[in-house]
Amino acid sequence: MFVRRLSTAISESEKAHFNNLATSWWDTTGPQRILHKMNLVRMDFINNNIKQHIKINNNVPNEQKTFIPGWNPHNVLPEPVANTIDGARTARIRQELAKMRLSCLDIGCGGGILSESLARLPYVESVDGIDMSPEVVRVANEHKLLDPAIAQKVHYQLKPVGELPATKQYDVVTLMELLEHVDHPADVMAAAMSHVKPGGLLFLSTINRDPISWLTTILFGEYVLRIVPVGTHTYSKYIDCAEIAEFVEHTGFSVIDSKGCTYLPLKGWVFTDSPDVGNYFMALQRVK
Amino acid sequence: MSLRFLSTVRAKAPQLADIVIIGGGPAGLTLAAAIKNSPTLSSLNCKLVEGGNLIGPLTKFKQEPPSNFTNRVVSLTPSTVSYLSEIGAWNHIQEERVESYDNIVAWDGVSGAKIDFDGPSLATMCENLNLQSALLSRIEELGQDLEILDNTKVESIQADEKIGWPVLQLSNGESIQTRLLVGCDGFNSPARKFAQIESRGWMYNRWGIVATMKFKDGEFRHPTGWQRFLPTGPVALLPLPDNWTTLVWSTTPENSDILMKLDEDKFLAMVNAAVKLPVEELEYLIKVAASKPEIVAEEVAWRLQLFNDKLSPEEAGGYPLELETIVTKSRGKFPLKLSHADTYVEERVALVGDAAHTTHPLAGQGLNMGQADVKSLVGVLETSLERGLDIGTKMALEPYFSERYPANHVLLGVVDKLHKIYSTDAAPLVFARSFGVNVLNNVPFVKDFMVARMGE
Repeated sequence: MFVRRLSTAISESEKAHFNNLATSWWDTTGPQRILHKMNLVRMDFINNNIKQHIKINNNVPNEQKTFIPGWNPHNVLPEPVANTIDGARTARIRQELAKMRLSCLDIGCGGGILSESLARLPYVESVDGIDMSPEVVRVANEHKLLDPAIAQKVHYQLKPVGELPATKQYDVVTLMELLEHVDHPADVMAAAMSHVKPGGLLFLSTINRDPISWLTTILFGEYVLRIVPVGTHTYSKYIDCAEIAEFVEHTGFSVIDSKGCTYLPLKGWVFTDSPDVGNYFMALQRVK
Repeated sequence: MSLRFLSTVRAKAPQLADIVIIGGGPAGLTLAAAIKNSPTLSSLNCKLVEGGNLIGPLTKFKQEPPSNFTNRVVSLTPSTVSYLSEIGAWNHIQEERVESYDNIVAWDGVSGAKIDFDGPSLATMCENLNLQSALLSRIEELGQDLEILDNTKVESIQADEKIGWPVLQLSNGESIQTRLLVGCDGFNSPARKFAQIESRGWMYNRWGIVATMKFKDGEFRHPTGWQRFLPTGPVALLPLPDNWTTLVWSTTPENSDILMKLDEDKFLAMVNAAVKLPVEELEYLIKVAASKPEIVAEEVAWRLQLFNDKLSPEEAGGYPLELETIVTKSRGKFPLKLSHADTYVEERVALVGDAAHTTHPLAGQGLNMGQADVKSLVGVLETSLERGLDIGTKMALEPYFSERYPANHVLLGVVDKLHKIYSTDAAPLVFARSFGVNVLNNVPFVKDFMVARMGE
């Protein structure tokens, strides 16, 4: 019973919708342009969180330990001093990043927009992308061959998250624009969380179930501006940020960051300070 | 047997690169230095291809600087200088060969209406070779392996059949396949042609004549940029150290032929005439230069004598000092044109500097626009790389185009209008432009605004 549920994590109509989009997936001027644009903020969100959780004083011998403040030095210190602190912090983070070799799992990878971006990061060792639509997985496999630098780093498979070997765990797991397309989001969440290494990060993004979302993603996005293919979204499948936070509460994960985001014509996607309205990102860390 | 035969004919597999820059001019070298200076980009495999001899002459310029100033001199705005400092190249400039000045005097050749701009280091005059050799030193100092292939021509550029990356066939027999091709390859940009980007514009039907000259020693003057707008085009004398100066004289093709054919001392006399004498006398002198070049120096001398005698000492300060020396063989000329590419980015290609836009030299902005392009492109590449984008894709490069195109377009337009307004002696227009300039010169806040914009 449970197995069947997982295997049909995405409904036939959703699968058909994405199969139809497959051919234009990588046309950055085509129907998926807005998704390509969104990928930019996704990467910013992921990057920022990974960088913020690097312990910059790790492995520094005690006597050399330098104090780098966690607060924003620009508020209290003169500009040149603050800039020096920023510079030192950035350099230290870069040093630590250079040592990292992260493994990533991209659930609902589609044509591989996010998977490829992750694979190009120097501190990512490998990316596994999984999706339920055979057409988009084929497109993803073809497209990765266009860049020799990542062809060996990314691996795509046509399977639901429930069919991954239970022992397989990753440093980073992503569920981007996925939960609003599945019938049983709680099952998918639980399965995704089971593949995060202790201390690892899970990134997700989806849409709040509120009138603003309906207005921006469905009415304007699909019908008025026509920047999202019609039928991409189903309002009843939207999930509130607070619902996810509640779901995560007793799971050994903690919410480390959540940010809203919105699309401004002419400007692209920008972060907002209200994760409870419209589209949003969340970063969870496995603490136990 | 036949297999072995085949394997010997098959071309060598191309080398792979992340970025190939075509062109070792100031734009190309600045881009190379900026990429290697950036912690984010420095690990990229980057190559620079230049058709001419680059490393030899630039190294020689550094080790045994020539005693005279070379004739290709550019005007750098403060923001260009600050960017060059930021990437660590300005330290390598031979400072005794550059002159920064804070005073520009521009006046109308027909009506005499004058405007002078003051601002702390409005511009810095620097030889092209000085700038290029500083950039090369910086690249060498950074020590990140950046391959510079000079004396190497790009024979063809073709898209790879499988992955679409540009493959450059080089004159040394090698070929390079690159993720991103940056054209810093000038007006006739092969990179732009490969990307099938249209460039639009027009010839000004004017030539720019350059030369290196020296003012008569004696009276002390603050370094000043002089520019007189004649109906045939502006003549400008821009300061170099020790009373040296660099000439940029834009004029009609016929005049430029006549002036280029003159002996150097007679040419010198004509330049002295061009910054002082009335337009009608200049027209007459050009005719004399064409028909009886042997007497032109005398003609100029007595007319200038007459002109100078009438000036009060105060009025004389409003004109440049007399030119006394011209560096042998420093005269050169080039056609002036406006061009602007429809886009600066296509899949796998970005255009920088003259490959994307060329302008009339009257505002000294050409090279500075290219420097601003480099700064923008480097910022865009850094962001795109951190976001894990393929830096050769149009998606990754688009912000560079949207950042630079509007700014360049405005500047090209302003310079073009200035050229058009001043290339006439029709009375109503002369009156209107002189009235405008007189107003401008007397309304301080408008002038301050203009000075601020010029420095950007």
